[in-house]
Amino acid sequence: MDKVGIKHKRDDKVKAWMKKETAEQKKRYQVIVAHMDAIASQRDKWVANFLKRIQKRGFNTDRDVFKIIKPEEIPIQPKRKFKVSF
Amino acid sequence: MARPHIEPFVDRDADYKKMTLPGFGTGMHYKMLSFDTDTGACTMNVRFDSGYKRSPGFSHSEIEMFVLKGSLKFGKQTYIEGHYFVIPPGVFMPALSASKGAEVLLMYNGSEPSHTESDADHDGADRSRLAEVNSYSGMPWITPNIHPGTNTGCLMKILKFDERTHALSFLFVMAPEFWQDNISYHDCAEEVYHIWGTTWMMQFGYLPTGGYFWRPPYINHGAFHCKRGAIAFGRTDSELHNHFHFNPWSNVKENEERAVSRLQHRNPEVYKWALGHNHNHPDPADFEYPDDHSH
Repeated sequence: MDKVGIKHKRDDKVKAWMKKETAEQKKRYQVIVAHMDAIASQRDKWVANFLKRIQKRGFNTDRDVFKIIKPEEIPIQPKRKFKVSF
Repeated sequence: MARPHIEPFVDRDADYKKMTLPGFGTGMHYKMLSFDTDTGACTMNVRFDSGYKRSPGFSHSEIEMFVLKGSLKFGKQTYIEGHYFVIPPGVFMPALSASKGAEVLLMYNGSEPSHTESDADHDGADRSRLAEVNSYSGMPWITPNIHPGTNTGCLMKILKFDERTHALSFLFVMAPEFWQDNISYHDCAEEVYHIWGTTWMMQFGYLPTGGYFWRPPYINHGAFHCKRGAIAFGRTDSELHNHFHFNPWSNVKENEERAVSRLQHRNPEVYKWALGHNHNHPDPADFEYPDDHSH
């Protein structure tokens, strides 16, 4: 036994249940990735607004401490696909 | 592949399924929120029908449980909304009943859900780790003492802290118009379930009541906004360190490398030791935990 579990054997019913849940999780992940792709243009607007705000009001470095970010500090978007699900 | 990145997911969009695993009887239904495809460890929203009863017994897995709605009993003791439990593997609990029904978050941390009928602990079970508290009425809200930290307007109640891994289970609230303009990632996996309220994160959009995520380490999240307030249950699997930055497009590999670079500067002696050729092995000994060391 370790802190989170006791070693045990799984019977066929439990194995079948796990197989089904595994398939559903993988399917759900694909649905989420597609949804995240679908809102990409909205996300781009949110990002643009964020980059404006941190140059005007500031970036939260720790708690309520703000640092104004200079235009030359703003990162440049790489050419690769903008992924949020991994 | 352990648990996939499930973010966002709203349990209101899913139907309950009957729990068909042995030992749970009839009248238990679940929505799977996240599932470890290797071990079967999982987080579920569970509904116990009115009149549900389960025999005394134990699980092979450590369990965490949080009562969302209704009430349930272990034996003669009643537990209501906000009650939180840690039940170590092999520790038997009295018969569970929910005469008027209940909805809980149920987390199996080591393996798939299991229930073995018993009126005694399994050999080697550590009953000293059994814990329960009413998180709503029995604990104060605190300002998180994590640096760098969240803005004013985010408060926590620490329900479980693992002194070795620094893994946390906690409640948190965001005040109305909470706003935090940074992007964060962590060295740990993070899990959140929205008990009530809607929050927004720049990558994933709006997460309403019933919203959930399981996020592996090093994934960007934030900026953050909460218009009307929210209360949520959360967990991490190791220390929650906020790596804040403002690059929306950094990926997991870059974030991970940055975290190591930051460790190099924040904790240089540990970093040097870990890289040292004379004692660079993956399982260093801890004299407080001799049984965990494989060498």
